[in-house]
Amino acid sequence: MIHVRKLKKTYQDIQSGQFTALAGISFDAMPGQIYGLLGPNGAGKTTALRILSTVLKPTEGSAVVNGFNVTQQPEQVRRQIGFVSCNTAIYDRMTSWELVQYFGQLYGMPLDRLHSKMNALFDRFQMNEIRDVLCSKMSTGMKQKVSIVRAMIHNPPVLIFDEATSGLDILVAREVLKTVEQLRDQGKCIVFSSHIMSEVKRLCDRVAIMNRGVILAEGTPAHLAEKHQEDDMEELFYQLISRSEAQLEADKNAAMVTHNLTSPLAN
Amino acid sequence: MNWPTIKLIFRRELRDQLRDRRTLFTVAILPMLLYPLMGMAMMQVAQFMRESPSRVWIVGEEKLPASPPLIVSGKFNPTFGSAESQLIELISSTAGDGHFESLIKSATSSAGDSSSVEEILRLEMQKRKMDLAIFIPNPIEIPERPDSLIESEANNPQSSPATQVFVLTDSAIDKSRIASERVNRILNQWSKEFSKETLVANEIPTSMIQGVVFTTGDVANKTGKQAAAWSKILPFIIMIWSLTGAFYPAIDLCAGEKERGTFETLLSSPAARSEIAFGKLLTVMTFSMATSFLNLLSMGFTGIFVLTKLGNGMGAGGALPIGIPPLASIGWLLLALIPISALFSAVALAAAAFARSSKEGQYYLVPLLMISMPLMMIPMLPSAELDFGTSLIPVSGLMLLLRSLIEANYTDCLKYAAPVCAINLGCCWLAVRWVIHQFNSETVLFRASERFGIGAWIKHIMRERRSLPSLGSAVLCGVVILVAKFFIGFAVTAPQNFGQFAFQTVIILVATIFIPSVMMALFLTRNPRKSLRLNGCKITMAAAAVLAAIFLNPAFTWLTGFIMHIYPPSGDILMLQEAVSRILGSAPGLWAIILVFALAPAVFEEIAFRGFILSGFQSIQGKWKPILLTSLMFGLAHGIIQQTLITFVIGLVLGLIAIQTKSILPCILFHLTHNSLAVLLSQANRTVVEQSPVLRQYLYSTDGQNYQYATFPAILMTVVGVMLIIWFLQLDTKPSNRSVAYGQVPNLN
Repeated sequence: MIHVRKLKKTYQDIQSGQFTALAGISFDAMPGQIYGLLGPNGAGKTTALRILSTVLKPTEGSAVVNGFNVTQQPEQVRRQIGFVSCNTAIYDRMTSWELVQYFGQLYGMPLDRLHSKMNALFDRFQMNEIRDVLCSKMSTGMKQKVSIVRAMIHNPPVLIFDEATSGLDILVAREVLKTVEQLRDQGKCIVFSSHIMSEVKRLCDRVAIMNRGVILAEGTPAHLAEKHQEDDMEELFYQLISRSEAQLEADKNAAMVTHNLTSPLAN
Repeated sequence: MNWPTIKLIFRRELRDQLRDRRTLFTVAILPMLLYPLMGMAMMQVAQFMRESPSRVWIVGEEKLPASPPLIVSGKFNPTFGSAESQLIELISSTAGDGHFESLIKSATSSAGDSSSVEEILRLEMQKRKMDLAIFIPNPIEIPERPDSLIESEANNPQSSPATQVFVLTDSAIDKSRIASERVNRILNQWSKEFSKETLVANEIPTSMIQGVVFTTGDVANKTGKQAAAWSKILPFIIMIWSLTGAFYPAIDLCAGEKERGTFETLLSSPAARSEIAFGKLLTVMTFSMATSFLNLLSMGFTGIFVLTKLGNGMGAGGALPIGIPPLASIGWLLLALIPISALFSAVALAAAAFARSSKEGQYYLVPLLMISMPLMMIPMLPSAELDFGTSLIPVSGLMLLLRSLIEANYTDCLKYAAPVCAINLGCCWLAVRWVIHQFNSETVLFRASERFGIGAWIKHIMRERRSLPSLGSAVLCGVVILVAKFFIGFAVTAPQNFGQFAFQTVIILVATIFIPSVMMALFLTRNPRKSLRLNGCKITMAAAAVLAAIFLNPAFTWLTGFIMHIYPPSGDILMLQEAVSRILGSAPGLWAIILVFALAPAVFEEIAFRGFILSGFQSIQGKWKPILLTSLMFGLAHGIIQQTLITFVIGLVLGLIAIQTKSILPCILFHLTHNSLAVLLSQANRTVVEQSPVLRQYLYSTDGQNYQYATFPAILMTVVGVMLIIWFLQLDTKPSNRSVAYGQVPNLN
């Protein structure tokens, strides 16, 4: 369903020159599977998801979503996905009904089919009470519900959740996670990024642990625990990140020593 | 592009903006409340101004004649101006008043020295807080008729001096100026009556001093007068409000969406970037038009109401030349509102798309206003008229066309509608392209907040140096040249001889053009030689460049004449040309003039423009955009509008030669030959031309001084010149390694 190969993304940065957000990552996510991207802030999770949703273009490598290439067929890719971000990203001056209808129409859904789908989703997420309420007047939890319905309205085979439970209270977060599980059970391919270990352990069928644009470990949670002899996901995550940071520091020092030795002043 | 998607986005954005209180306030509430309130305030102020009486101090009232009476019961005689009389508070100083006595004494002692009298009065006025002072030093009496008027005048011209009355005002104070207008009207009427009584008393018919009576008339009808008044006000109002009305929606729809995080959601929907851009553009346009229209409506109603009130208050004599605008003008305004709003909305949207937040968006839109304002002010100048030259100025041309339409000058409108529409629609198209480019640019949409430090920036520039200049360094070089040329203009003094002139010209070229470009090539690029295009070229290319310059010279000469016809040089430029001609007369020889006018600019300008700047602009894909932008810079660097246009066209040919030959050597040769021919043509005189049978074939002169190319040879030469340009176009230009150096510009759909 999603095939990512040697995906690389670099930015120009005035402070540090060229900044590498993704250093050639590869992974596959299948239908009926939740694929977790786990990593600290700045690991490259959002960049990878933005490339999958065609908002950004990769510098190198390829990504194929449900058979469509993100660089060559961006419009088709956008029809295959539903994107839910951490900041809810909904229009404050629209009601939940208007917002969902707007996105449904953007996906080219006929109004009668759209309305029956909307009614079903509003019933399922118990949102009928807020259908005529402006989004600005809603709580964060309600907004995230609207955001999820918005992403699901065109029944996409792929759903991307970018830290979707961030900032939500425990009750709403559990509800979101439950929804994600239900979607997986319906056969959807889900990419779920988070830095909350318990969520990932509970939800994900496969996990990629990322740091500084690189995948440090990839596999099922059970496989990772066995491979690294660590059952506690949080501890495993900490060990991998610490090891990666230590390696980077060592590489940096080695490069400095090499530079000093080869410098003309050293002679 | 999918129209239903654009319509969907447009409708959503429109609804969104209509629910935004700030936008609604700016578009609808502000005009509905502001103008009536302003009108009320204006009427109050006007009422206050009208009812405020002027304090007039009169010294020597008793010296006035009994008939005609100027003052009746302590007020000016209402016969000489009833309204004015009511508005003047007269304070009189008569005999026995200490001040009056001293004033008379001073005036008498200064023996008619008016400056000392004025000084005394000025001090007294300030002390007594008077708006105006009238001082009558001597009694005014009706003079008696001499026995023989002619004899009397002939024998003693000083025998009957005119009676002197001092009227002193302070023109720096508004109240004093108003008092002066009121008093002068009364005094003039009284003076006429006094003269009439003098004539009657001396038994002289009053018709004897009537002289010539001028009867003035105004052929304009009422509608024409109203149209003339409105034609200046209305275009400015709709322009300024359509720009203002585009500001807030543009910021909210781009920078605001980025801030709220909704932009990313929209970008991940199936709507293409161009559809999103057009949907938003239509929304901004709608609000721009609505703001303009509502402001116009509100201002119009309030204005008419206020003016009618003020007009009534002024009585029959105070009728205002402005009434309800002609109906046709409203129609023209509404029609013109569409391209105006499209242009301003596109520019505002592109600027707003670049901003990361609403606050940042406001910073970008202020310079936009600063650029637009002068274009809107040009048509307000009294001498501004719709002609071919002004029709080519964006915004200004449209305003002038609108003015002509309101004034019903349809002949002028028909003549210049095509260039005005072409220029303004062209600008609209460019602005819309800019918007779509902004929406396609990843670096614009996801610009991260960067902490700017000069040290980090310099480090970044040095670290990121490429083998060839970047687009930014090309623009920077162009701007540095323009600014340096502007400031050096203040430093130079008028040269006295050719030596000084030559020295100044070369120094200016080196300091403002050569040094900035070479320094930038050295410090901002890894390969200065390639950046300045200092490559060799085949002998055929060099020869073709020289021949192209020779054969295209008649076409450029004709173009120069055409541009001079459209934009006739101002008096200052003509004086400058004369001064240069005089200085050239002291040149040691033709070689020296060619050295200064042809060789020096050819070398230095080509290194800068076709070298560094064109190399930088070549980071843009394609051949013609870099040529066009470089030519624009080249034209602007020449400063004077006539030269700017000519050099822009020549720059296009030079840019093409530079790109096709990958060397500036042919460009230098073309430039040198072109300028040399211009010098030779300007220096050609009758003796030289008449002695040469070849020159006689090609040149002619109507005045024996200025020589032109003969028509048939000129056409033939131009054809050959064009063929040479086609030859340059067909030169094999393999893709340069620039795409490797710069990478491809991301194109997101």
